[in-house]
Amino acid sequence: MTATTADAKTAPASRRTRRRTALRVLPAVLLTALALAGPWLAPHAIDAPVTAPYAEPGGDAPLGGDQLGRDVLSRLLAGGRELVVTSLLVAVLVTAVAAVLGAVSALRPAIGRIVERTADVLMLLPAVLGILLVTLSWPDGGRLAVVTASVVLGVPYAVRLVAGAAAPVAASGYVEAAAVGGERLGYLVVREVLPNLRATLLALFGLRFVAAVYLVATAGFLQVGPQPPAADWALMIRENSAGIVLNPWAVLAPSIAIGLLAMSVNLAAAALVPATGRKAVPAL
Amino acid sequence: MAGSLTRDEPAEGTVVPRPVPAVIRTVWYAAGVLARRILLLAGLLAAVFAAVELLPGDAADATSERGESAADLARRRHLLGLDRPVAERFWDWMTGLPTGDLGTSARGEPVADLLAHPFPNTLLLGGLALLLTLVASVALGCWAAAKPGSPLDRAVSASATGILALPEFVVAVALVLVFALWADWLPAVTLTDADGSPASWRMLVLPVLALAVPQIGWNTRIVRAALADEATAAHIETAVLDGLPRRRILTHHLLPGALPTIAAGIATSTGMLLGGAVVVETIFNYPGIGSVLAGAVADRDSPVIAGVVAVTGAVITGVLLLADLVRAWASGGRT
Repeated sequence: MTATTADAKTAPASRRTRRRTALRVLPAVLLTALALAGPWLAPHAIDAPVTAPYAEPGGDAPLGGDQLGRDVLSRLLAGGRELVVTSLLVAVLVTAVAAVLGAVSALRPAIGRIVERTADVLMLLPAVLGILLVTLSWPDGGRLAVVTASVVLGVPYAVRLVAGAAAPVAASGYVEAAAVGGERLGYLVVREVLPNLRATLLALFGLRFVAAVYLVATAGFLQVGPQPPAADWALMIRENSAGIVLNPWAVLAPSIAIGLLAMSVNLAAAALVPATGRKAVPAL
Repeated sequence: MAGSLTRDEPAEGTVVPRPVPAVIRTVWYAAGVLARRILLLAGLLAAVFAAVELLPGDAADATSERGESAADLARRRHLLGLDRPVAERFWDWMTGLPTGDLGTSARGEPVADLLAHPFPNTLLLGGLALLLTLVASVALGCWAAAKPGSPLDRAVSASATGILALPEFVVAVALVLVFALWADWLPAVTLTDADGSPASWRMLVLPVLALAVPQIGWNTRIVRAALADEATAAHIETAVLDGLPRRRILTHHLLPGALPTIAAGIATSTGMLLGGAVVVETIFNYPGIGSVLAGAVADRDSPVIAGVVAVTGAVITGVLLLADLVRAWASGGRT
């Protein structure tokens, strides 16, 4: 039940746009891979001092030392994996939950209204404060608390987006025919509606990855994410900001890393948004 | 003539009483919007209570010291009122916000007292950033929309997309390095007066910029898209064909039509700004709720964050209400 629109005439054009999309997605993929492989590339241990505190770059430590004299380059290489893994996990969970709930909302308007009201309520809760609320109310939650909060805060907006895209599909003849034919809700969602939303779901995944990087990094900065002595880009910025005059690289390097990750992921997400849906800019 | 006029007046008043119902309809509409917004705020308060209540651990646990006996813990739980029935605490929490009671922190201080001085400072920071966001994003959006598809349009849209996903603390670090450490133009740290407010306007510049930059990116895209949407409308085409000046078309035809979307975008940014303020205040040592929350994070003090969420929710409700009314006014009763 998948509509194929590309005919012979538009094939070269679509191949060109596909190549352009791939080029815009590439930086995000490379950076994500580098962050995941980083801990294996680190030349020094992340928790043992190799220089004086806030030592300037040189010799054994190309980016200098941090507050305790640990190698900034090694901590930079090691400090991206948890951020990327957590963000990917949040993005996958939000997209999966929103895909099912969104399709159900399109098929069952009563459930759609409940989701709408939930999104209206959550609009009053800034995501940063929401993540603080959950992590402080659940002191032993650790990474699970950050993931739970990010998923709960992200799902309502994502459902809204999926429900909007699913509405025309749910109203189409073949879905109605299947519904009248007595197919169960689960079958309609998984076999009839979702396969037609692949482009929307891919774009949604990109956007949720952007939002998750923002939230997980901010949680790290606010010290409710990874705890010392873990190496984490956001935590590095917080810990070393006192010595920004002595060794700016201890702050600047992780800032650049987070900035590049956020921008490249956003570039990729923007490239994945279907041209028709580009105007609908969903909230973070 | 005069006689016929006086004779007609009462008839006019009773048969077609036009002006009065219009006013009533407006008031009725506003009341409906207000009631809806208050209900949603109540929903938020209930959700916050449920989150604090249902997640494992409470304020007494969080501040417990090592080696503290179970009896000590129970006594502190009693002092904080955590041993009262759930229904009673729920009622106190729900009715607290209108009366200015936001609960008690894990250290036993009223949360409202903790926030009394810092919160206005945060509102000042957020308000200035919101104003800057509004002005800059409308200006940039219009500038880009003036020549659709031009290099300028593409450059504005690309930079807006580039900066909108940046976390505020990354922007803040860049601003501090450039403007405070290298150029030495603006202070990197906020010094405060005796009364606890920022000592000079120069100390507000970098925090406001750090907060506003990502939101400007976000809203510039919304303004640009709303103007592009509006430009396809039939009455705009007519105005162009009539040879009206571009500037007049923009200010009198395009912007009014795009206003509801712009208002919604700015209103959404309010929450992002208040959340981001917590982060930015930490970096610049600004005397707002960020410093209160930093203490709450160290103590795992959940009542404080619950109180902050309640007050922030009320502020956002106010802004959304304003956006609702702007949208109703801009659409002139068409919706």
